[in-house]
Amino acid sequence: MKVLKVPARTIAVFILPCLLLYVCLVFVPILVSLYTGLLKWDGLTSSQFIGFGNFKDMFLNDPVFWPSVRRTLLYAVASMLEIPLCLGMAILLNRYLRRANTLVSVYFTPVILSVVIIGQLWKTIYNPTSMGGMLNGVLVSLGLDSWTHNWLTEPNIAMYSLYLVSLWQYFGYHLLIQYTGVQNIPDELYEAAKIDGADGFKADRYITLPLIVPIFKISIILAFIGSLQAFDLVMVMTGGGPAHATDVISTHMYNSSFMSFKYGYGSAIATFLVVVCLVFTGIINTVFNRLERKYN
Amino acid sequence: MRKFKKGIVYLLFAIPVITQLYPLLWLLLYSLKTNEEILDGSFFSFPKKFQWHNYYEAYTSGSYLKYLSNSVFVTALTMICVILLASMAAYAISRFRWKYGNVVMTIFLMGMMIPMQATLLPLMIIFKNMHILNTHWSLILPYIAFSTPIAVFILSGFMRAIPHEIEESAFIDGASVYRIFRSIILPVSVPPVMTVCILTFINIWNEYILAATFISSERLKTLPFGVYTFVSQYSVNYGNIGAFLVMGALPVILIYFFLSNQITKGMVAGAVKG
Repeated sequence: MKVLKVPARTIAVFILPCLLLYVCLVFVPILVSLYTGLLKWDGLTSSQFIGFGNFKDMFLNDPVFWPSVRRTLLYAVASMLEIPLCLGMAILLNRYLRRANTLVSVYFTPVILSVVIIGQLWKTIYNPTSMGGMLNGVLVSLGLDSWTHNWLTEPNIAMYSLYLVSLWQYFGYHLLIQYTGVQNIPDELYEAAKIDGADGFKADRYITLPLIVPIFKISIILAFIGSLQAFDLVMVMTGGGPAHATDVISTHMYNSSFMSFKYGYGSAIATFLVVVCLVFTGIINTVFNRLERKYN
Repeated sequence: MRKFKKGIVYLLFAIPVITQLYPLLWLLLYSLKTNEEILDGSFFSFPKKFQWHNYYEAYTSGSYLKYLSNSVFVTALTMICVILLASMAAYAISRFRWKYGNVVMTIFLMGMMIPMQATLLPLMIIFKNMHILNTHWSLILPYIAFSTPIAVFILSGFMRAIPHEIEESAFIDGASVYRIFRSIILPVSVPPVMTVCILTFINIWNEYILAATFISSERLKTLPFGVYTFVSQYSVNYGNIGAFLVMGALPVILIYFFLSNQITKGMVAGAVKG
């Protein structure tokens, strides 16, 4: 029930500043980019309307595009695989420690740091031994000299090195979300289950898992959207190189627009990115809503 | 057996402490070493002598304070605007009787799924035409816009639950809507406002890509972009780079040290409600 019946002018005063700013800076740009995606344009000279030419190029002729889509999706899968691990850990934390908040805050520390700091930190960790890289140093002192690599400049490995950094940074984030979810499950449920003879893993299977589904969904969506947008980390650490080996959709867009000055083409990739985001969020939502209904 | 199991579990808890914190500690040690000590590549060693001058050099050769004050300015202004605009919009959506409340809410919600990078290029074109490229406005405006959806969502969720009686009696006493908003709604909405503050702060303080794309003047750079510039310019003296990275991380680490509970709670609230 909304009590306040106010004149339209008052509503406008309250809502318009926020709404206008928001629409002008989020929706209008997307529309602009839908349009510029249909142009052949370098941003300076006059543009030429070429219809879906950019999209055709993108899907059929661009050797970088599909690999970058694949890497983006792999990024998403990798980050989602981390979440069950975090859930398991959250359940253990809740069972073995009375108040694990401090511990969880410690795990969380990397989340609050800027991607620039994280990126540069890991660049120095990944450095070759000759430059004092920590990872290779660890491997050498374990006698695993043959495992040392140039983690960011070998094309086969560079992308995995980036996945690892993301997993490292967001481990604490997902753990925190799952832990909060597990904590919010009322103790009485477990006590009742114990009386019925179900504790430990059995209780987790029949109480924790069904009740954690909504929280799990949130983590999955966040991980997925986060990976589609995993952009700044790649930009800071490799810029998409060596030789496009670490390009994801968004860095490919950025490099096409701002490095090669193909504004039209870059906009077409941006459009694709928006569509992928919307479609996949929709899919994940539907799947989980079904799952929730099945359990409840 | 039981003790053994407990030991294993505690070990499991300890591993992430090391993996999550040791790289940060390593960076701190790194920043206090000489180039030779860094290059010898041992993954755990204390510097023979703490090279505090690394910090002095990083401080004097970079514009740390400039970057810091730019970040403070941009973040603070963004936060103030987000809170003001979003709470007004949330109030209208949650408490007024009008037809389009839900439509407006849906518009805001849709924005949460739109990736910020997709707007980089068009925003640059728009800002160029408005002649505000390479000013702080070119950052503040999109920062506000991208922070509002979650803010409106969190605030309107809270405001919906405020009992109507308070408002009614104030209304009967002749208070205007503006007055009610300022003296009743805003003061009781402090908890969600804090959540919004934290979320906005963490996101905006750390934002790098918009800053790196829209800003080119040295004196306008925010901290993350400034750190990036410093690191790419002074790539020979490792100790100085380490020192600048530590200085770059310091403000947010300090805040986190004192407010970690509020920050983790805020981030969860932001995630779960989003």
